[in-house]
Amino acid sequence: MTETAPAQQEENPLADGLALRRTPDPCALVIFGASGDLTHKKLMPALYALAVRRLLPEHFAIVGVARTDGDDATFRKDMQGAVQQHARDPFRQDVWDELAAQLHWVTTDFADTGGEDTLHKLIEKLDEEEQLGGNRVFYLAVPPPAFPTIVDALGKRKDEKGWTRLVVEKPFGHDLESAKQLTAKLLEYFSEDEIFRIDHYLGKETVQNMLALRFANGIFEPIWNRQFVDHVQITVAESIGIEGRAGYYEQAGAVRDIFQNHLLQLLALTAMEPPIEFTADAVHNEKVKVLRALHTPGPKSVVRGQYGRGFVEGEEVAAYREEEGVAPDSMTETYVAAKLYVDNWRWADTPFYVRMGKRLARRETTIAIQFKRAPHPPFEETASEGLRPNVLLVHVQPDEGVSLAIGAKVPGQGMTIRTVHMDFLYGGAFRTGMPDAYERLILDAMLGDSTLFTRTDEVEEQWTLVDAIVAGWERDRPAFPNYPAGSWGPPSADDLLHRDGRSWRRH
Amino acid sequence: MATALSWQKEDVRLADVEAALAELRGEAAADAPSMRTSVMTHIAWVPHGWREKARAALEGMAERHPSRTILLFPEPDAGTSTIDARAMVERWEVPDTGRGIVTETIELTLHGRRAKAPASIVEELLVSDLPVFLRWRGEPPWGATELEQLVGVTDRLIVDSTEWDDLPYPYRRLAELFPRCAASDIAWARTSRWRAHLATLWPEIAGVGTVRVRGTAAQAWLLCGWLRSRLGQPEIELEHEEAETLEGVSLDGNAVPLPPGDPPAPSDVLSDELERFTPDPVYEAAVLAVTS
Repeated sequence: MTETAPAQQEENPLADGLALRRTPDPCALVIFGASGDLTHKKLMPALYALAVRRLLPEHFAIVGVARTDGDDATFRKDMQGAVQQHARDPFRQDVWDELAAQLHWVTTDFADTGGEDTLHKLIEKLDEEEQLGGNRVFYLAVPPPAFPTIVDALGKRKDEKGWTRLVVEKPFGHDLESAKQLTAKLLEYFSEDEIFRIDHYLGKETVQNMLALRFANGIFEPIWNRQFVDHVQITVAESIGIEGRAGYYEQAGAVRDIFQNHLLQLLALTAMEPPIEFTADAVHNEKVKVLRALHTPGPKSVVRGQYGRGFVEGEEVAAYREEEGVAPDSMTETYVAAKLYVDNWRWADTPFYVRMGKRLARRETTIAIQFKRAPHPPFEETASEGLRPNVLLVHVQPDEGVSLAIGAKVPGQGMTIRTVHMDFLYGGAFRTGMPDAYERLILDAMLGDSTLFTRTDEVEEQWTLVDAIVAGWERDRPAFPNYPAGSWGPPSADDLLHRDGRSWRRH
Repeated sequence: MATALSWQKEDVRLADVEAALAELRGEAAADAPSMRTSVMTHIAWVPHGWREKARAALEGMAERHPSRTILLFPEPDAGTSTIDARAMVERWEVPDTGRGIVTETIELTLHGRRAKAPASIVEELLVSDLPVFLRWRGEPPWGATELEQLVGVTDRLIVDSTEWDDLPYPYRRLAELFPRCAASDIAWARTSRWRAHLATLWPEIAGVGTVRVRGTAAQAWLLCGWLRSRLGQPEIELEHEEAETLEGVSLDGNAVPLPPGDPPAPSDVLSDELERFTPDPVYEAAVLAVTS
């Protein structure tokens, strides 16, 4: 081959038309909290799924960091077990061997500077041996109290080689003040575009499909407003309890565990204006406008609950106050329902009813857009008594997909109308397997794409609303428990809608 | 796990096929709720000798691309002019939902004159508003009525030029169809791993004079055409060494290291092509570069 100097100045013509593989730059992924549940159940299975699909960079290293004693060999064995138990793909020895060779372990709690040195030396060594270009993703899968120490340690060692990205798991603060303090700590060393705050709901295909549904289809957006929508219901229901996380949950409660992050993000995606382009800033800008427009609800518009004993899947389960580690007189809420308004031109006076909780009747996350009734059905009243308003139902999980409830004539003489469902089931139309949210989010963080992460101003708006709600709670003391496990929440949650002449969706 | 129900009859009207499918769909939904789901109509023109290969290529594909598949078996030399039909409905469990989806396969054996007007047959069976893909096994009979007709109702023609003789000459006839219908070539898809790998050799590769390919003739010609068209160098020479799969590429006598990863499975290659909806200008340019 001959040298062609001018060609070097041009774009690569051979790259045209090739499938764009989203393969990140060489990098080291450093996981703090590598002995924890999140690493076992989510992070390592996601990394394995990416390895199966060859989406990880060729030059790559994973460094597990935790206080637990260990070494490379025990970490690899432990992670192999995690992959075999939790990965969505069948175990392939060849893929695992390749990935396992990239796993390394450092024991440290960062309380002593020796730990920092050990980690720093290992990353420098890997940089050189594996040609990682100084690129690093630091993943903080640790409890929030550990954040400042780790951030200080990483920040002081930060250099100009390559790029650095810091992935922060929720909860991002405990209230607005602590969130601001945490942001200030991160910004001491990292810029906003280096910080990736994970809300794993945003990595779910069905949540991203909300954007496709709204902005890739001409039929929905013209009726996606107060003129045609009667109200919106968002449900994030779990049938499980607190699963041994009393220490965290007693502090957080449902309002901080789900409402502050997942639920408000779902609401923002439902209510936002079309972004001008599908880039991180454009999407964040539109979401934050919705969060800013959220009307702070009065005390009567928010209901909280705590589960008592009950039955889930036919099995008797304990009350929240009987869970291990929970105070017998705990006032922590395990359920929240609220009526929210988005004060803007599109949604003025259209209620968004939201509810979330633990030990509810079943696991279900849905967004239901309920449209106004037909203004004048020309049928006898008895003909359409089984007819409910049109509802566009987005199933986030399980049964991922979209349903549209419509009225249809019952076959036979006369005119009887009933509600039927038109279903789009994700697993039915696209049978390629749904990637786990963490696969998408880890890859995006490595690629530097923050579209599906939350920005500082979003987090702060979310906390502003939560702080206002929690402030109202300090003045009263509800009679907990107020709903049995396995039900759909306290009766006062039903009253919240009944007062408006509405009711929660039937399940 | 799929469960299949089937029906077959000789000398049928197409209305019989539709009625049989409706009945089979009802049976499939008798025990558990099922949804008829389609993302496309997939037509395959399967001359004598290709039937088993065509059926094998469909294995597992219905699961990835729920569709109505119409397999056309032409028997133009038969003494009668009739249609024999076999209809199958497969029900697939959607994991963790308790529900299923049903997909449909229609096999039509076209006897005598019925093999000469296939578009009028498939038109009645297309799923409305969904794209139509036509898989043509073997080398299409360029200019023949059946090809012209089916291309007329198709959004995308899928061929495998590995199945053709006398390359590169048939590419010229294929290129004549480009203005009318998007084309996919399985042989081209099988070079994608190597193309991505060769692209990483830019800009050093810009001055290449000879490319030597150990693989099928189709892969060799298409890779050469691709380099000629992308690099703007129509004089790049091709040396071809026959092999059943694409095993190696040398540039000006220097062997290129093997690309990373495993070659895709045949059903994956076809499946990927069924996800493309628009013409592939890079492929079209490569074809034109080997025919000019």
